[in-house]
Amino acid sequence: MLQIRWHSRAGQGAVTGAKALADVMARTGKYVQAYSVYGAEKRGAPMTAYDKIDDNPILDHSKWMTPDYVLVIDPSLVFQEEIVDNTTDDTVFIVTSHMSKEDLLSIAKHLQGKKLYVIDAIKISQEEIGRAIPNTPMLGAFIKVSEIIPFEDFLVSIEDILSKFPKKIIEGNLRAIKRAYEEVK
Amino acid sequence: MAERYELKQKEVWDGNMAASHALRQAQVDVVAAYPITPSTPIVQNYAQFLADGYVDGEFVMVESEHSAMSACVGASAAGGRVATATSSQGYALMVEVLYQASGMRLPIVMTVVNRALASPLNIHGDHGDLYLGRDAGWIHLIANNPQEAYDMTLCAFKIAENEKVRLPVTTNQDGFLVSHTAQVVEPLDDDTAYKFIGDYKAMNPMLDTKNPQTYGAQTEEEWHFEFKASQHKALMESPAVIDEVFAEFEKLTGRKYNRVETYKLDDADVALVVMGSAYETAMVAVDKAREEGIKAGLIMPRSFRPFPYNEIAEKLKNVKAVAALDRSAPMGAMGALYNEVSGALAANGQSSIMTNYIYGLGGRDTTAQHILEVIKETEKNAKAGKRVTDLQGFINLRGPKLSFN
Amino acid sequence: MATPKEMMTTWDKIQPGAVLPSFEDPEKKIRSKFNSYNYKVADWRVEKPVFNRDLCIDCDFCWVSCPDSCFIVEEVENKRGKKQAKIVGINYNLCKGCAVCVEVCPTPIKSLLMFPEFVDNDEALKQWPKKD
Ligand code: SF4
Ligand code: SF4
Repeated sequence: MLQIRWHSRAGQGAVTGAKALADVMARTGKYVQAYSVYGAEKRGAPMTAYDKIDDNPILDHSKWMTPDYVLVIDPSLVFQEEIVDNTTDDTVFIVTSHMSKEDLLSIAKHLQGKKLYVIDAIKISQEEIGRAIPNTPMLGAFIKVSEIIPFEDFLVSIEDILSKFPKKIIEGNLRAIKRAYEEVK
Repeated sequence: MAERYELKQKEVWDGNMAASHALRQAQVDVVAAYPITPSTPIVQNYAQFLADGYVDGEFVMVESEHSAMSACVGASAAGGRVATATSSQGYALMVEVLYQASGMRLPIVMTVVNRALASPLNIHGDHGDLYLGRDAGWIHLIANNPQEAYDMTLCAFKIAENEKVRLPVTTNQDGFLVSHTAQVVEPLDDDTAYKFIGDYKAMNPMLDTKNPQTYGAQTEEEWHFEFKASQHKALMESPAVIDEVFAEFEKLTGRKYNRVETYKLDDADVALVVMGSAYETAMVAVDKAREEGIKAGLIMPRSFRPFPYNEIAEKLKNVKAVAALDRSAPMGAMGALYNEVSGALAANGQSSIMTNYIYGLGGRDTTAQHILEVIKETEKNAKAGKRVTDLQGFINLRGPKLSFN
Repeated sequence: MATPKEMMTTWDKIQPGAVLPSFEDPEKKIRSKFNSYNYKVADWRVEKPVFNRDLCIDCDFCWVSCPDSCFIVEEVENKRGKKQAKIVGINYNLCKGCAVCVEVCPTPIKSLLMFPEFVDNDEALKQWPKKD
């Protein structure tokens, strides 16, 4: 079972992102779970969302997991040590930051020795979508790093999932996803 | 005429969305609701469907849950198909009217998202609200995942409205663990779903002005007992209809539901009784236990009311030790599942060793590993041939070990 | 008073939900011993309400308010041919003399007034207050 944990701030779209990823994967015949851990939420509060993806129906309803991927879509949360909780040496981190990997590691010591990829999803979403909603660019980066499905297939599914939005928003998101796919390092 | 909703063969829905679509497909005449976390999205989605032209019925926003259920009682007595949704404190506020609805034999469907009862305030899932409505004269069906939340809601209408039953029904799903967890759901198309439920048949509708009816009559000691007995009988005899509806549903979808669900119970020495999303987590634990050589199995009442006591006793006949897991604060007794199952076994002259565990209060995480530990403890009782563990234990509770004997 | 035998239904014959037909003929209706209709309270009365048809505007306040359903109503047609309820009198077999009807009657000179029990109704009507 593939397990993914998102770290985000309420309002940045991690729940939507997790559900969109689950939707994309379900279209390939996989079984999925997408959920988040809620508290007494307010916008801006740190929160986590989760994806589980498997070939068989997913029975385990516990919230606990050992993630294969940790996706951090808020640049300041990268510095919170909680993002490495319950991870292993094999866990892959994809984090949002404007810093280079080296600069980042010199400050965020908890990420040293981890498999780390960096993408400036905030900047990309601001430039392409016009708002700091870093969830879809993070998906682009995740598809590149994980190679979980062919990128073309992903684009077809995500365009359909976004189809309830106005054309301008859809196009912005698709541009952001493609840029993130290219730029993740 | 409401517009048809284009659905894919497989949707990724959380339990709330699944329940909303089932309400939409049932073409409910009146939904009266007062939204409350975690069932808010059911009401919100439904209102959206209505605004978008997918629903023909009336949507009544009220000032409290007491009013919501009261409006449901009125609309149902008037002669319409009626549904609502609630959780926790809202459920508690409704309780007075829940008894009214069942006493008047009104086939209202309520999609409940289970949540802990304050105080302290908590928005997460446990079965405190379900247990609160236990004796209210409703049929209570349990859904363990979004697919079941959808399926049970469709079945609920058909069971409630059957002329042999004519009782209100709740469908229950765990707050957040099911209600806010998106999973793959295979819905029926709108026409098939509606055809399965069928047109609503009103009985003694108040809006039939040629034959005016009085609802909510007073009956003192001369009649009250007879009315309550006949209501109880309807509930006790509803299993025949529930089985019928489940069989018809299986024919349509291939998905088989039973009033008593079991998992690997046939050769089990050790069984857990557990209801809700934890039943599925426990399946994972049972598989692990079996890898370690423990013959473990699971059993769950899909209908918490009417409680399938004889069927449960029959299925537990060869089990040596049983642990009942209750997701509600027992407050001065053993948990409800422990009591029901013990009673069922005693009534049938069976003597499996019974223990009780309390888990998951206020949404406390319960993992397969936690449940595996319970299976191992229960196996000690099976091996010893008598109870050697505590009568009542607590799963994943912080602090010094707490137990009662 | 015992409840009529024919009313003593058993649990298997009882109407589900206690849903009862409304507006049965009040004379023929069988009532339980606990039905307020069967508790006769007229003996308690020391003063009685007298009804003055000439002043009544048929607002039905008294009919709704009377705790013992004393007001006798006739169905009549009004000038426009519509059916209407007309108050025609008081059933003194039911009235306990509580004066609630007098209290609620809205006409400038009350259409209902309390009189001692021994005063004849025609006499009472003669004593009725006049407009100044
Ligand atoms: S006095 Fe009381 S009981 Fe008698 S008619 Fe008036 S309201 Fe009814
Ligand atoms: S309250 Fe007075 S005016 Fe109104 S119907 Fe009765 S007697 Fe007539």
